[in-house]
Amino acid sequence: MKRYQYILLIILAVYSSSCRKINIAPPNIIQNDAVFTTPSGIQAYMSRLYSELPIEDFRYSPDMGLNFFWIIKPTPAVTGEALSRDQTGATAENWGDWHWDVWGGNYATIHDCNYFIKTLPTYASNFTPDQVKAWTAEAYFVRAMTYFALVKRFGGVPITTDVLNYVIGSDPTPLKIPRSSEKAVWDQIQSDLDYAIANLPAVNADFGDGSRANKYVAAAFESRAMLYAGSIAKYNTITLFDAQKNQLCGIPAADATAYFQKAYDAAKMLDGVYSLYLKAWSATDKTAQYQNFVNLFSDASSPESIFVREYNYPNSVHGYDAYNVPRQLIGPNGYSSEVNPTLNFVEMFDGIPKNSDGTIQNLDATGHYKLFTNTMDLFANAEPRLRATVIFPGDVFKNQNIEIRRGIYTGGVTGGISPLIPPGSRSQYPTSTIVSAADITSNTNNPYKLPDGTSLLPAGASGIFTADQTCAISGFSVRKWLDPNLATAQVLENNETQTWIEIRYGEVLLNRAEAGMELANAGQGSTFSADAFSIINQIRSRAGASPSLSAGSMTIDTIRKERRKELAFENKTWWDLRRWRIIDKEQNGTIYRILMPFYAAQAGKYFFDARTDERNDVYTADPKWYYEQIPGGAITKSPNLVQNPGY
Amino acid sequence: MKKLIYYIAMGLVIFAASSCGKVDNYPAPGSTLSGSVTDEGTGQTVQTEVGSRGTRIELLETSYSANPVPIYLESMEDGTYRDTKMFDATYKAIPQGAFVPLIVTDASGNTLSDSSRSFVLKGTAVENFKVQPFLRITWVSKPVFNSDSSVTVQVKISRGTNSADYQLPITDVNLYVCNTQYADENNFDPRFSVLTAYSASQTSSLLSSTLTITTPHGVLPQDVYFRVSARINAGLDEYNYSTPQSAKYP
Repeated sequence: MKRYQYILLIILAVYSSSCRKINIAPPNIIQNDAVFTTPSGIQAYMSRLYSELPIEDFRYSPDMGLNFFWIIKPTPAVTGEALSRDQTGATAENWGDWHWDVWGGNYATIHDCNYFIKTLPTYASNFTPDQVKAWTAEAYFVRAMTYFALVKRFGGVPITTDVLNYVIGSDPTPLKIPRSSEKAVWDQIQSDLDYAIANLPAVNADFGDGSRANKYVAAAFESRAMLYAGSIAKYNTITLFDAQKNQLCGIPAADATAYFQKAYDAAKMLDGVYSLYLKAWSATDKTAQYQNFVNLFSDASSPESIFVREYNYPNSVHGYDAYNVPRQLIGPNGYSSEVNPTLNFVEMFDGIPKNSDGTIQNLDATGHYKLFTNTMDLFANAEPRLRATVIFPGDVFKNQNIEIRRGIYTGGVTGGISPLIPPGSRSQYPTSTIVSAADITSNTNNPYKLPDGTSLLPAGASGIFTADQTCAISGFSVRKWLDPNLATAQVLENNETQTWIEIRYGEVLLNRAEAGMELANAGQGSTFSADAFSIINQIRSRAGASPSLSAGSMTIDTIRKERRKELAFENKTWWDLRRWRIIDKEQNGTIYRILMPFYAAQAGKYFFDARTDERNDVYTADPKWYYEQIPGGAITKSPNLVQNPGY
Repeated sequence: MKKLIYYIAMGLVIFAASSCGKVDNYPAPGSTLSGSVTDEGTGQTVQTEVGSRGTRIELLETSYSANPVPIYLESMEDGTYRDTKMFDATYKAIPQGAFVPLIVTDASGNTLSDSSRSFVLKGTAVENFKVQPFLRITWVSKPVFNSDSSVTVQVKISRGTNSADYQLPITDVNLYVCNTQYADENNFDPRFSVLTAYSASQTSSLLSSTLTITTPHGVLPQDVYFRVSARINAGLDEYNYSTPQSAKYP
C-alpha cells in the first residue's frame, strides 16, 4: 500500500514541476539585445540592408531581376546598346521570372529600415552619439534608395515610415495602405536623402571605401533621383488618378524646375570631393587615354568611384566575364559573347569615317566597298573611350587578336566589290559568293584555300557563326568591365568578385549638366548652360573625343548623347531612355544595325558591310511600360492598390 | 477479433468515401457577354490588334463591390468581343482603345465627361459601343504586284473625330506584310513590311492625299496579308488599323 503512496507522490511531483511556465524568447529569432548592443550586431544589420539595396549591378537583368546570378539576357540588349543571342526584342521587366519579389522584397527592406530607425534609439546608450546619428542616417539612405527603385518602376506607391506588424487574427485593414501620389514618393525620397546628407559624416566611419554611404553618396544619389523626378514632370504623358484625385502616375509639369534645381544643387555638393579618374591619362596620347578609361573600372583607389558594391568569393559572386568575353576566350563552363554592341551605338562616337547622315562610311565614292589590310584600319582614329568600351574586330585583348569575320567573299574584285545586298535590304547574304561557318566545328573543319595557296578559316575565332550564335553577332564585342588579368580558367559563372561601381563622379557631372541645361531651357539663366558646356568638355576631354563642341550648338540632346556614350553598359541607359520617355520612339519597329567584316579572297583585303541585324529581330517598346504592372499578388493582398494604365 | 477489424475497416471506408462528398457551392459561370465597338461615323467596327495593345472592355462588377478590381475583355481583331464564361451580375463597361476615351478627366483628375455604360448581365447580353476612332484607314485599291516582285498598296487616312484634343499629328504609318490575317505591330514579316515615322509637319499632306506604299524588293511569300496601321500620340499610343487584305500572286 505504501508503495502506491510513493508512486502517487512521484506522479504528483512530476506533474507539479511540469507546470513551470517557459517564458523565454524563441531561440530561432534573433532578439534586439543581440543586435542593438554591439557594433558587430549593427554591422550584421547593415550588411543585410546593403545587400538588399535594389541596384542594377552585375547581377541584374530585366528578365531575371535583381540579385540573380544568370545574366543571359543582359540589360544592354534591351536598350539598343547591344544585341544578345538570347534577347530577341524589346521588353519590360519580366516579373514572372523574377526570383526576388520586387514589390514584397522592397517593402521588406523598407520594413527593415523603419525597424532600425525605431529601435536604435532605445539602445543608444551602448554607442557614441555620432555612431547612432550616422547609422540612423544610413537607414534613411537605404530607405530612400528603395523607394527610388519602386517609384521609377511603378509611379506612386504606398508610403510607410512606421513599422507595420500584422498580429494573427487582427483586422488587416489598416495595413492595406493605398498608393500615394507619385510626387509624394519623390518628395519622400528627397526628404530621406536630405536627412542622410545632414547626418552622415564625409567618410563612413565603419567602411570608408565607398561600399557604405556617406554624406556625398547620399548627395550623389539625390542628384540622380531628382533628375529622374524632373524628367517625369517634364516628359511624362501618362496620367492616372485614384478616386481621391491623387495623381498616381505623373507629376504636374510645373514642378519640373524645382526638381532640376534640386538635382543641380545636390550634384554641386560633390565639387572638389571627388574627381574624374585621370591617373593614366595624357592629353596627347590616345593609347594612354584608352588605358585610363579601362583602368577607371578596376582601380580600387579611383577618386571617381562614389558608391560601389563589393563581392566576396564564395558568399557573393557574379559571372560578368564568363557571359561577356569574346568567344575565343570562352571560359571552362561556356557562355561568352552575350553583349555585342550595335553599330547604332558605335556610330554615336567620333573618330570613325562617317557619311553625312552619321552612318559609318564603308563604301567609297563609286559605291564599292572600301578595302582594308587589317580590320582595325577602319578604327585607327576611333575615340579612345569607344575603344575602351567596345572590342573592335582585330583589336587586342588578353594578348590575343580578337578575330571577328563574317565570312570569305569569293566573288570577283576587279572594278571594286559592289554591296552584297541592296541598301536597306533585310534579306540574307547570298551564299554563292560567300563562304561562312555555321558553328565552330564546321569552321575549323573547312578551311578555305586562298588564291595564294595559304588557307583561312571562313569565320574568325570569335565569330561570326551563323547557326551557333555564341559569337560577336553584331561584329563587335563588349570591352567595358572585362578583367584583362582574369585567367581563362577562372572565367566562370559564380566566381568573380570585381567591384561594381554604382555611381561615379562622371555620372554626377552629367546629372549636373543635364539638370543645368533643363534649367537654362526653362529660362533660369545662361550660367546653367555655360556650366553644362564646361562639364561636357571635361567629360569629352577625358574620353579623348574630338572635335570639341561649340557652346552655341549645345542642346539637351548633346548632353544626352554624351551621357549614353559615357555610361554605356553600366545599366543606366535603359532608365535614362525611360525617364526621357523616348524609348518607344527609338524602339518603334526598330531593327538594330550591325557591321560585318568580310575577307575578299581575290583581293587579299577586308571590307565591311553595314546592315540590319541578320536575325531580323524587331524592337518595339510599348509606352505603357513606362509605368510597370503592379504584381497581381500585391493587388490580391491589398485591393486598395490601383493598377497602372493598360494592364 | 476478425469481425472487429472488418467493422473498423468498413467504418474507415465509409468515412473516407463520405469525406469526398463536398461540392463547390457556386455554379460555374456560364453567361455570355458579346458585342462590338463600332465607329459612330461609318457604322463599321473599329479594326484593332489582338492582345493587350488592342481594344479591350474594362468591366467593373459593381454589384459585387463598390470598388471592384477591374476585369478586361480583349477584343478580337475585327473589333467584336465575346466571353461565354461570365457571372450574372451588374457591370459597368468602359471600352478602351485607339479612340476618344469614354471617360475624360482633366489634369487634376476631375471627370469632365463619362459615357461608360452600366448593364445587367443575365444569361446573355449584347453590348455595342459607338466610339470615335482617332484615325480611319481605308483601302483605295487592291494591292498591286509590280514586275520587280515588290507590291504597292494605296490607302486613305482620315480623322475619325472632331474633338479638338485629338487633332494631333500622325506619328507613324506602317504597312504590315504577314502570312496570316493577324497582321499587327507585333506580328509581321520584317523583311517586307514598311514602317515609317512621320514628323508633325507631314500630317496635313498625309490626310489630304492618297498614301502609296511599296514593299522593299524581294519576293514575297505566296499568300500574304497586307494591313496598314497609323497612330497619333494619345493615351498609350495604340494604333488604328485598316482591314486585313489578302493577296495572291497573279
